[in-house]
Amino acid sequence: MRKASTPPQTDGGWRAALTRRLEHGDLIWRFALSLAAIATVALIIWIAWSIWVDSAPSRQAFGLKFISPWAKQSWNPVLDKFNAWPAIYGSLVTAFLALLIAVPFSLAIAIFLSELAPPRLRGVLNYMVEMLAAVPSVVYGLWGIYVFLPLVVVPLGNLLAATLGKVPALAIFFRGPIPASGLSRLGAALILVIMITPTITAVSRDVLLAIPRSQREASLALGATQWETVWKVLIPYGLSGILGAVILGLGRAIGETMAVTMVIGNTTGGGYSILRPGYTMASIIANEFAEAVSDMHASALIEIGVVLFAITLLLNAFARWLVWRVNRRTVGR
Amino acid sequence: MKRKLWFVLALLVITATVLSACGGNSAGNIKPPAPAATSNTANNNTANNNTANNNTANNNNAGSSSAGNSSANGPIVLNGAGATFPLPVYTEWIQMYKSVAPNVTINYQGIGSGGGQKAIFDGTVDFAGSDSLLSEEQYKKMPDLQMLPMLAGAVVPIFNIPNVDSLVLDGPTLAAIYLGKITKWNDPAIAKLNPNVSLPDEAITVAHRSDGSGTTEIFTSYLGAVSQEWKDKVGIGKAVEWPVDNMGQGVGGKGNPGVAQAVQSTPYSIGYVELAYAKSNHIPAAKLVNAAGNVVEANAETMQDAMAAFADAFDERLTAKIVNAPGKKSWPIMGYTYLIIHMKDNKDCAKTKALLNFIKWAITSPEAAKKAAELGYAALPQAVQQKVLAKLQQVECNGQKVMP
Repeated sequence: MRKASTPPQTDGGWRAALTRRLEHGDLIWRFALSLAAIATVALIIWIAWSIWVDSAPSRQAFGLKFISPWAKQSWNPVLDKFNAWPAIYGSLVTAFLALLIAVPFSLAIAIFLSELAPPRLRGVLNYMVEMLAAVPSVVYGLWGIYVFLPLVVVPLGNLLAATLGKVPALAIFFRGPIPASGLSRLGAALILVIMITPTITAVSRDVLLAIPRSQREASLALGATQWETVWKVLIPYGLSGILGAVILGLGRAIGETMAVTMVIGNTTGGGYSILRPGYTMASIIANEFAEAVSDMHASALIEIGVVLFAITLLLNAFARWLVWRVNRRTVGR
Repeated sequence: MKRKLWFVLALLVITATVLSACGGNSAGNIKPPAPAATSNTANNNTANNNTANNNTANNNNAGSSSAGNSSANGPIVLNGAGATFPLPVYTEWIQMYKSVAPNVTINYQGIGSGGGQKAIFDGTVDFAGSDSLLSEEQYKKMPDLQMLPMLAGAVVPIFNIPNVDSLVLDGPTLAAIYLGKITKWNDPAIAKLNPNVSLPDEAITVAHRSDGSGTTEIFTSYLGAVSQEWKDKVGIGKAVEWPVDNMGQGVGGKGNPGVAQAVQSTPYSIGYVELAYAKSNHIPAAKLVNAAGNVVEANAETMQDAMAAFADAFDERLTAKIVNAPGKKSWPIMGYTYLIIHMKDNKDCAKTKALLNFIKWAITSPEAAKKAAELGYAALPQAVQQKVLAKLQQVECNGQKVMP
């Protein structure tokens, strides 16, 4: 009925105009597609608005102290006193640590897959990478608890505690001992590495493969080695796409809930050391929301949701800006 | 150009209308989850049947237009949701009850006590399960809610000390460990209780639940009962701030399996789980010195003893705390789990009657009690059964008593 608002035409009136426009389906198509696009935007706004409203009691009670690293760090459902910093720190440190390790690793795989791998091996490897991306996170968590933590994380943690843990400036981040079970921020970060590597690899591989052949040929013809071609031509050419892949990985790392909950140890204390148990924003919500009987507790958890949402948005905006800068630079050259 | 503008405007308006219609009254109301909508539809269906019956029966209760009686032999669906602590027992009971009353179907979703309380508050379920008590505020808003004890469960401390398979603790020591005041296994306080055990000079890793839980509430109630310092510093609740966490010696696990896993994979650790869980997974549990000064282990006998010792502890709301029981053989860390029902605000009498019959069967029938004991829970002692049955007698539907 709203379509009646199409302005009247001089020849034949609005009815004919409407019929004409609807005749070939263009308008309907356009309407359906726009609706889908607008729905995305509306959904984001709707979610943001509802968690913002529901976090009001917590926001009013704690204000900025809720996210402050300097406020008294307390997550106390008995007294209804909440400070989310340990969870925020846990999310950030695990996600960025994971990224730090996963990005070079994934890029190496992607370059191998797109430039070096013999065709037969490439097919198998591609399949494997995609398989890894499809493993449900709870399976990673289980495997992490029973295999990965005791066999890899504990020895690595002990090594870090004995080396970096002794360096005065770094001691705060590497203070041991790591728990004998391996439940720690380091364990969570390493599980995340395994989880985000396939994502980053798959996207950056596609980016590299999409680079026109002429770029490679030109570079090789100028006498560059294959290494120089990859490093000085392909990577800069595909940089914005690769950045997108990295951000995709970061998004998954920061939002991952199940696997992290299973290996991080779930404590709100623990200082700054990556070798100690901690918490992430997603895992504290998953753990405590179902039995959050007091309204303030529920509201505080929802406010963590707001913070998580905001951090994700900021990171995305930052990534957009990076991509934009990279593109401008590339064009300008 | 102008037409384009109109088009976009129209689109926006329509989208907004559609969205707000979908959104409806759910305006940003995120609270602990309520059970799935299936219960609603089920309710509505029966409600519709009732209206039909109502016309013929000519029920003249004012203000209850959709009230009435479903035909006595038709299928009846009862929906419940709430605590996960008793979920294994309820699931078995519901199965068993099918042979007692074939026309009654009972659904129980384990969504947590908080979710159960919210669900009965919102009227999306016929009964709720809860380990924790309703607050004064909730009673004020809905005074006809009644908590009925259904069974009791025990919580046991579990430990992992290589080469040690039996351990005795007492309340103050356990509290001191969880307060972070006792940090080594060879602490004199522990050594005194275990003269024949060689305890290692190792730091204690303390495991606890990371999710809010009735198990934690029972455990912290006990620690609060035996240690004033625990009560003052930490308090009692489904989730608390663990002092050991701030010392970096704590670790949280999700659910009983999470805690058990953390303890089993961490040498020199201690944790707590439900007896039912420890039993079915053959996890060794510590013995405790109870209030009477005897060393007891958690089993059916010591649980019954604790419940009997507290049989008269119920208040008029039919709730009781049974931690640190004074009986000679009492296991000290225990708690009741409850069903929440409406005493007066019942519209569908056949449903109400079916629910009351189920509750009566669950607390009195020997096979139900046997099943509960098998699973590591304790059925109500005779004295408590009588109190619950007396309450059931008073339940009303449309102003009439339901039970004969």
